[in-house]
Amino acid sequence: MSLYEHIQQNKDLFFIDAQTGYAVPVRAFHQSLPIDNRQGLVFIYSDNGIGSIEVLLNFLNSQFTVVLLSTQLHPSFKQNLEALYTPYYIFDPGRVAAFGYNIVAASDSIQLLMRKVPAEYLIHSRIKLLLSTSGSTGSPKFVKLSNDNLVQNAWSILDYMPIKKTDVVPLNVPIVFVFGLSIFTTNCMAAGAILCTNKDILQPDFWTDFTKYNCSTIGGVPYVYEMLQRIGFFKKDHPGLRYMTQTGGILNQALRQEIVRYVTTYNKQFMVQYGQTEAAGRMAWLPQDQLLTKAASIGRPIKNGRFEIDAETSELIYYGPNVFGGYANSPADLSSWNETDKLYTGDVARQDEEGYYYITGRIKRIIKLFGSRLNLDEVELILKNALGGQTVVCTGINDKYLLVSHVNDQLEAEPIKQILKEKLNIHPTVVQVKFLPTMPLTPNGKIDYPALMLNIV
Amino acid sequence: MHLQEVIANAFGIPANDITDELEYQSIPEWDSVSHLVLVTELEAAYGITIEMEDVLTMGSVAKIKELLKKYHVEQVS
Repeated sequence: MSLYEHIQQNKDLFFIDAQTGYAVPVRAFHQSLPIDNRQGLVFIYSDNGIGSIEVLLNFLNSQFTVVLLSTQLHPSFKQNLEALYTPYYIFDPGRVAAFGYNIVAASDSIQLLMRKVPAEYLIHSRIKLLLSTSGSTGSPKFVKLSNDNLVQNAWSILDYMPIKKTDVVPLNVPIVFVFGLSIFTTNCMAAGAILCTNKDILQPDFWTDFTKYNCSTIGGVPYVYEMLQRIGFFKKDHPGLRYMTQTGGILNQALRQEIVRYVTTYNKQFMVQYGQTEAAGRMAWLPQDQLLTKAASIGRPIKNGRFEIDAETSELIYYGPNVFGGYANSPADLSSWNETDKLYTGDVARQDEEGYYYITGRIKRIIKLFGSRLNLDEVELILKNALGGQTVVCTGINDKYLLVSHVNDQLEAEPIKQILKEKLNIHPTVVQVKFLPTMPLTPNGKIDYPALMLNIV
Repeated sequence: MHLQEVIANAFGIPANDITDELEYQSIPEWDSVSHLVLVTELEAAYGITIEMEDVLTMGSVAKIKELLKKYHVEQVS
């Protein structure tokens, strides 16, 4: 059964439009938009509003392969991706035209852009969804996911998540991130109502709705929990709230203690989880009673999944039915599906004597700033292009700072910060720029990243 | 320091672009990340401690000015 059929089976499900207050039953979105019956790509620039959700559900129930992207992606990145992948349909709320596309009114409120001359290329029938490996760099690299990946991931989460038929779930995590998508899929299958909202947790309207609809849950990466603490969320009870979910890294010690105090005082649940886009979402979770005793642990594998630690490299390897079918860097990569249950996570891990796993480092050149995954090689390329091909090397410092090292004593920090802000919306305060007299290189002439990191620490 | 400059620094945009009408999430530079940077910079610039609840009320430059009155900040503007 497809993800869409599972969602439709949850017959009493409603979608609430936070903007109007209207609640729409799930069956009302069944084939609610006239879309062509054929294979192809649809780019959905989602903003978590009810329009995006209606479009997503319609295309999940079609032969189309859905590409979920952020509506906040830089316009030039949108253009590049569209030129490369030539999607048959584009949904981008607020955008009224695109070169080579006709505008089609799919409903009173929803407009689609439809390609005038459809591109003909083969898409493997298993590929249902393409998710970006990075939210903001506009990289053409996508993770290929199947319907089965999405359903298996949702089942493994429903195995431990305390979702009830009466729950009201705000979409406060963007569904273009795999964490937000998992919140969406699991609750569409098992909860009572989904609150579709563009508001974020720093806007009073969000909290008005949170109280008005008696929301049952909230999710976030560590940075979101830091914000919740800053706005006083943990100072009082939120009567409707039953459980909170977290992924995307380890909470700092003080915040973890504050959350344990909160959930103990008000009888809530807090779910620490670990996952990756390449696993359609989830790989591990930590039971609440271990929050303090197993601090900093990612927990144990989800149902139907298991871990292995590579004897030589200590890399964490995951096995499960939710593992993706390979990457796509261009349309040509869409013709194939690499069936496997094995995923090299790129994380270095250890296991304690009771079977709990801890992430101790990272092999892949990826950092997380404010919970968003950033591929350092892609950032480097963007910087090099913008700076006329100068040598710049990007590394991360504890997922707190992006360090840009360079060998040009004339190069100032300001233009570098400006480019990163303009292209990737990286806040200047988390960027550090460092001049090095020489760049450390390996014997075969590549950047010696380990030496560079040692130098900094 | 001039309020406009404090805000401009927090968002990394020219001070001239800071108008009363400017709202949270109306430009990419004013997102949740820079909002909290702004809170910290306001506290540092004016020697105040902004209450948790007030962080949510700073939805526009005009509202920030209003809030600063509550904290008895004499801004040059």
